[in-house]
Amino acid sequence: MASLPLGQWLSYFRRHAKPDSRGGVRVMPRSIYILPTRQGLLLAFMLILMLVGSINYGSNLGYLMTFLLGGIWLNAILHTWRNLLGLTLSPVGAASVFAGQTADFTLRVSNASTLDHFGISLKCKKQVGDSVDIPASEEALLHLPIKTKRRGELTLPEIILNTTYPLGLFYAWTYARLDLSCLVYPKPASRGEPPSLPVYSRSDAGDRGVGADDFIGLRNFRPGDSPRHIDWKAHARERGLLSKQFGGDRTEQVKLDWDLLTEQAPEQRLSLLCRFILQAEEREQSYSLRIPGQKIADGAGQLHMQNCLSLLARFEGGDAATL
Amino acid sequence: MQQPFEQTLTLRLMLLLSLFMGLAILPHGMNLSLPINLYLIALFGWRLSSLYLPKLQPGRWLLLLATFGAIFLVYSHYQTLIGRDAGVALLANMLLLKVMEVKKRRDIYVSVFISYFVVITQFLFSQSIVLALYLLLVIICLTALLLEINRVKPSSRLHEPILKTLIIGIQALPIALILFVIFPRITQPLWNFATDSSAMTGLSDRVTPGAISQLIESPGVAFRVQFKHTPPPTAQRYWRGLVLWDTDGYSWYTDRSRPMGYDAVEVIQIGDPIAYEVFLEPHNKPWLYSLDLPIAAPTNSRLSRDFQLLKNRPVTQPLHYNGRSATNYRTPQLPPVLRKRALQLNDNVTQRQRDLVSQWQAASLNDKQIVDQALRYFNTQPFVYTLTPPRYIENAIDEFLFEGREGFCEHYATSFTQLMRIAAIPARLVLGYQGGEYNTLGDYFIVRQHDAHAWSEVWLEGRGWVRIDPTAAVAPERVNYPIRLNFGEEGSPALFNIGSGGFVGSMVRQIAYAFDSANVQWERWIIGYSREHQFSLMHSLGFDTFTASQWSFITIGMIAVSLLFVGLRIAWQGKQRQTRTKRIYDRFCRRLSRLGITRRPYEGPLDFAKRASRRRPDLAAQIMRIIDLYIQLRYASRRTDMECQLFARQVRQFRPRRR
Repeated sequence: MASLPLGQWLSYFRRHAKPDSRGGVRVMPRSIYILPTRQGLLLAFMLILMLVGSINYGSNLGYLMTFLLGGIWLNAILHTWRNLLGLTLSPVGAASVFAGQTADFTLRVSNASTLDHFGISLKCKKQVGDSVDIPASEEALLHLPIKTKRRGELTLPEIILNTTYPLGLFYAWTYARLDLSCLVYPKPASRGEPPSLPVYSRSDAGDRGVGADDFIGLRNFRPGDSPRHIDWKAHARERGLLSKQFGGDRTEQVKLDWDLLTEQAPEQRLSLLCRFILQAEEREQSYSLRIPGQKIADGAGQLHMQNCLSLLARFEGGDAATL
Repeated sequence: MQQPFEQTLTLRLMLLLSLFMGLAILPHGMNLSLPINLYLIALFGWRLSSLYLPKLQPGRWLLLLATFGAIFLVYSHYQTLIGRDAGVALLANMLLLKVMEVKKRRDIYVSVFISYFVVITQFLFSQSIVLALYLLLVIICLTALLLEINRVKPSSRLHEPILKTLIIGIQALPIALILFVIFPRITQPLWNFATDSSAMTGLSDRVTPGAISQLIESPGVAFRVQFKHTPPPTAQRYWRGLVLWDTDGYSWYTDRSRPMGYDAVEVIQIGDPIAYEVFLEPHNKPWLYSLDLPIAAPTNSRLSRDFQLLKNRPVTQPLHYNGRSATNYRTPQLPPVLRKRALQLNDNVTQRQRDLVSQWQAASLNDKQIVDQALRYFNTQPFVYTLTPPRYIENAIDEFLFEGREGFCEHYATSFTQLMRIAAIPARLVLGYQGGEYNTLGDYFIVRQHDAHAWSEVWLEGRGWVRIDPTAAVAPERVNYPIRLNFGEEGSPALFNIGSGGFVGSMVRQIAYAFDSANVQWERWIIGYSREHQFSLMHSLGFDTFTASQWSFITIGMIAVSLLFVGLRIAWQGKQRQTRTKRIYDRFCRRLSRLGITRRPYEGPLDFAKRASRRRPDLAAQIMRIIDLYIQLRYASRRTDMECQLFARQVRQFRPRRR
């Protein structure tokens, strides 16, 4: 314990929002922390000035207004506290990303009371998430982007739900731990070719050529798709991100094997394998993957790719520390 | 702390901000001089137009130039940058310049806080109810702006944030009142800016011909009086202000180098003293007004040897004090020094004055008869009481007595006093007010500036100082029926008040009285609240001493209680109806559960109702009706109590039997 940094050691004593039965957390009266913001301190300072002025000129109305503003200042503590109280936060999901990309954690904030809550924000260390207003009996989705560094399972760190509503004089926050994680795939290496020659097999539908020359259709954009293949015209027509598909109907089988790679560093190998998987998927080739201790049989398609990438992400060997 | 989100500052927000700042500065227009007002108006206009034409938005250098311009203007006008007037002028300029460069949320906070400060400074100039209410409104609007920038989407309607601010303000009111009542008032200022100009109307401590007739044109309130018992008749309501002993032939005054002192003077009272409360308007002079003749000094003031009530400092705030006076009295002593001073004459005494006095002396046996002779002289000779007397240039008293014979109370009083001194009767001049208008609604008298009056006191052997009002000898109606004059433009002749008769007139009078009553209460409880009130309040609560620790404990305790109440209230808010609806819904679910249809934890009301209806088609209509109501109560933004009751009744009547 003593070796931990002070902040972490203190966090051991932190109060957190209370977990409920459905995996979410509920902001309880005593799990809210509150401190004045810079503006709050500025107003306090100005109130002291106003008081000094009122004393000096013996202005009773000056006193009254100063005290009224002082009362508002004090009540702002309660209202800021109330603005966070009773909200529930539950995990929604997080799409897998490649290392170095930003993971997008989605959370649901619901307001079960008949009071409106405003200006609710989410943050996590220095990453600032969305802010929303949540009217009575409604809920809203909040996105919290978190920059990823290394592959593997990224569990959502301790997050902070905060607000400065109504007056911005106080900053109320609550710590929440949610069981939500995101799988981070290895960072794809720059483009390269698999060392083994693909095994050709003739397609039943006939040979329409190898490569990425023939346009065969559109599919939804997936992370990792080359931006050059995005159908920008479709995007401009607000039809979403679509990727152009090229290739021949001739299926190619690619064997992706850990042992065939010339690089030695395990993370580099994972990185390369990741790139090859994406490349094969892009070219509509079928591929199999073999890494030490694990093997995935030949296949293609979204699910297959996800399986392969997950395997790489979860690979236990290597140092998992490089980018 | 980092701001959670950076809202784009919409045009509407900027417009409202500029508008509210303008409203906060607006009343200062009366307090600042014309060039500064014009500069402020120009800045405000610039701000508004630059909102619509971004090209006009000033750059950093131009803004700096405008700032220096403002500083230069203020300095050249006041020769200083500190103090009340210069400080306020500078502050108003700085606020408008600050609003000019608002770009981020942070700037809005700073502008709003400076506006709060500007609002507070308004009270250094005026503390009227109307101004206070107006500024309260401005503060609420300004605070609503803070609410607006702390939410993500701007509110669709402006009254929403204003309403919420009102709620916060009302919850803050107990704290404000506690602090207001209990915060110790300090009687001395922390520091004094001697340069402050204060043009307050009222009597001055020097009577020159025409000084009072200037005042007479002002309907402003000098003070208000409430008698504890029966008020004395009009002819006895002489409000003594200050006593003047010395003259230089032109004006009357009391030589500061020969102060009167505060030794106790023997007063023999005949009859009970009269007790009353005075609500004095600030007149920036150290003396207080009392019914002739004060016998006790109110707290924080002293009674001088010639019966003036004096404070240490000028009265710059409305003041409330209790007075006790005698109307029938004897003052048997007159020390030789004072007798000598009360007989002093100047070289403006002419031979015809001496002749006049010797005529009276020849025809009288004692001083009393000489006084009567003098009064008779004023009464029988063609003297005219007028507000617009001719100008007496060389020797005012002489010209008035023998040539013009048209004058105002000050002419009569000064000449009478001088004639008495020639006759070797000690005499002095008294300045104050006479009469007062009765406010039927508030049961008090309003003494206005136009009631200002001057009279004499002569010392008669055996009786002491006796009040003699020579004006009454000329114009008795001045004393018995005080003039109520309605002045139009300057220089126009005086007219009697049109509103004095008729239904409309009395209505107008009643409204004016009601407003004046409200003003009195305002001045008594808010503006005039003082250290004395605090002490008597603490005393009545059982605290004889008023130590700092007691004060802090009481204050903190009461504020904590107030905050606790607000905290509990807002924590419970929004919960109650929710729980009731939920409770009734739970009862409904239990009743269905008895039929074997139990709601699953994940099942929403609609799904549950559909499933239940499928199981019991005979109850389907009833179930759907209840569920519809429930969904409406639970999720709709608008709910009524009627719906809530209907829902409760429907569930109560839902008693299905097993099949």
